[in-house]
Amino acid sequence: MKKNALTVLAMSAGLALTLGACGSSSAADSSGGDPATATGSLRVMIPTYPLSNEGKAEFQKVVDDFNKTYPKMTIEPDFVTYDNMNEKISTSIASGSGYDVLVTGIGWIQPFAAKKVFKDLAEVGVTREDVSTNTVEAMLPAVTHDNKVYGYPLIADARAVAFRKSAFIEAGLDPEKPPTTMAQLKAAAEKLTKRDAAGTITRPGFDFWAASGAYRQVFTTFLASTGTPLFKDGKPNFNNEEGVETLEWMKSMVNNVQSFGQQNSAKKPLVYTNEAPMGMVGGAVDCSEKGIGQANCDDLSFFLLDNGAKAEFVGGDIASIGAKTKNSQAAWTFIESLTKPEANNAQAKLNSKIPATKTTAETGQAQSNPLSKFVAANLSHAAYEGGATNWLEVRKSFNSGLDEVLLGKRTAEEVLSSLAALSK
Amino acid sequence: MSNLATKAAPSRTGTATGHSKDGAATKGTRLVKRRSVTHKQVRAGWLLLTPALLHSTIFISVPTIAALFLSMTDYNFSGDWTWVGFDNFVELMGDQNFKTAFVNTVVYALVVVPISMGLALLIALGLNQKLRGMAFFRTAFYIPTVTATVAVATVWLWIYNPGAGLANGALSFFGFGPQPFLSSPDAALPSLMLVGIWQGLGAKMVIYLAALQGVSRELVEAADLDGANRWQVFKHVKWPALAPAQFFVLITSIVGTFQVYDLVYVMTKGGPGISTNVLVLDIYNDAFQGMRLGYASAETVIMILLISAFIIVGRKLQGADKSE
Repeated sequence: MKKNALTVLAMSAGLALTLGACGSSSAADSSGGDPATATGSLRVMIPTYPLSNEGKAEFQKVVDDFNKTYPKMTIEPDFVTYDNMNEKISTSIASGSGYDVLVTGIGWIQPFAAKKVFKDLAEVGVTREDVSTNTVEAMLPAVTHDNKVYGYPLIADARAVAFRKSAFIEAGLDPEKPPTTMAQLKAAAEKLTKRDAAGTITRPGFDFWAASGAYRQVFTTFLASTGTPLFKDGKPNFNNEEGVETLEWMKSMVNNVQSFGQQNSAKKPLVYTNEAPMGMVGGAVDCSEKGIGQANCDDLSFFLLDNGAKAEFVGGDIASIGAKTKNSQAAWTFIESLTKPEANNAQAKLNSKIPATKTTAETGQAQSNPLSKFVAANLSHAAYEGGATNWLEVRKSFNSGLDEVLLGKRTAEEVLSSLAALSK
Repeated sequence: MSNLATKAAPSRTGTATGHSKDGAATKGTRLVKRRSVTHKQVRAGWLLLTPALLHSTIFISVPTIAALFLSMTDYNFSGDWTWVGFDNFVELMGDQNFKTAFVNTVVYALVVVPISMGLALLIALGLNQKLRGMAFFRTAFYIPTVTATVAVATVWLWIYNPGAGLANGALSFFGFGPQPFLSSPDAALPSLMLVGIWQGLGAKMVIYLAALQGVSRELVEAADLDGANRWQVFKHVKWPALAPAQFFVLITSIVGTFQVYDLVYVMTKGGPGISTNVLVLDIYNDAFQGMRLGYASAETVIMILLISAFIIVGRKLQGADKSE
């Protein structure tokens, strides 16, 4: 049945509420003239700035910088979280009042680019070369769809494996030679695991830093360490021998060296608080007395998994321009303000991440703590999730499917096979 | 409506006829007045109904029609969509997430509704006594109802915490090992049901309490005088008097349990795996995480049918008549 006839039917039934976004392409750019006289407002959806006074103050600095070029334009920020981001985007599209600038994450680009929610940045003069020259080159595929660039990396959420040197020494392990392969990691974790008389794990030997339903990124990391990216050219690349072996190895670790889904109440890596001697960590650690303290920091060391290829999981915040914006030039100028070194560094600090610039290793945030220094130096080994245009749909099935394997409800082959079918 | 009013009018005004020569004329005048008043009343009735009708149209009828319509499209928030007929419904039949959500929701309702109704009735019977401190207990039982579900779920997350939770602390006092309340696929749904039962007690209890306090004292005293024991008084006097309250509690409980979402979202997000996936959570995930509004609308249609079926069965079981 033809769409137009149904559109009329739908509208006549008063369904404009949900179908208002169907149809027309963007109108002419109204901010393309003289920036000094351009008026109106930019709607910005951004998860990068927390709703604290500090977050708002840093965001205001970006707005002030933008207003130097567009003095008569105002910014309407919508400070979202990654949890409610899709609701915000979908409802804004449905209501026909889409955002001008959208900051999303890795994995969002291809699905929304395919849905024509994001604008090809070439339309504002940004090329693949610009992105690879000025930002972390390894993130280029994550912002690309059909060889076009739809996002500009702001900050990178890089992950590594940390361990306590003191715990290694206590367990008879050499802190100078941390495990790197999955087999070595499992052997070390089993040595480090502590149990009570009944055999219950009292101190996990390895912390996955994953709650129930959140093992997806860990799987991506371990899989990438075998030289197997999750997706290749937008096609699933996990339904293979490496995928099955990786998932079965994870299953052999769960409830062996750590209880399924174990997290502390703060949901912080257990290594920071010495609740575990080894485990996954984020992109920055606060070594001040407000954080974990210098003594704890000095006890930490970091490494990357290497089962044939070093792998550092990288997520991050990526800025895009809404496809239906009437202010694309102003939107790009706002993104440029977001990527100024001072703003970039502040974003990274606020989120315990690192700037996604080419020179990230030299930034204040990367130099401020040993973990950021380590992950910044290893960004060339970036492994990330997503790549399929239906990733947002597949992602939730990934979460539940991996859980089912780890809990012995389904086999790795069965789950990965069904996820691959869903990803096509 | 006006016909009925016209027919009813003569019997009400009949006493005036036959007492004067102008009786027929007077009757006619009164009928005209009555008809005129009736029309005014009808207009006033519609006027008073308008806000409710507008509300129902905007917030119930239009979304329901929209859901029905969207359920037959592949609308996914992008500009393009096509009519897919019943394809979404066919796909749902093979969707493991949906099937698990469907079964979990039905099981959740079948367990939570009768248990919470039974417990609430028992508590209401207990709180209907004239004892000291009753106001405190009534308030205490009602507090979970007025507390935000997110707050309730957060507290219960701590209670169920495998490491430092109150539940495992209490179990260890009796020599039991730590239980994976929310991290075991077998224990997670029953753990959520327990919270659901606890949270819903207050609202049901208050309704039962009000109904119990409305039971005729004369009837209870008469039964006492006739030598009925407590059980007989409850069975033959109080229980029949509770029927309208039972019906109301049943319907609201069925609708409430089928719409369980926030509790599951905060406590398990449907996990581990999909062991606590429920219909509303699955609809939310498909609509806003998977961005498939058409598909999610098809789920919504099925959920509406399911709730309707449960309400019909509930009415039959309770022997409710049309007026209820």
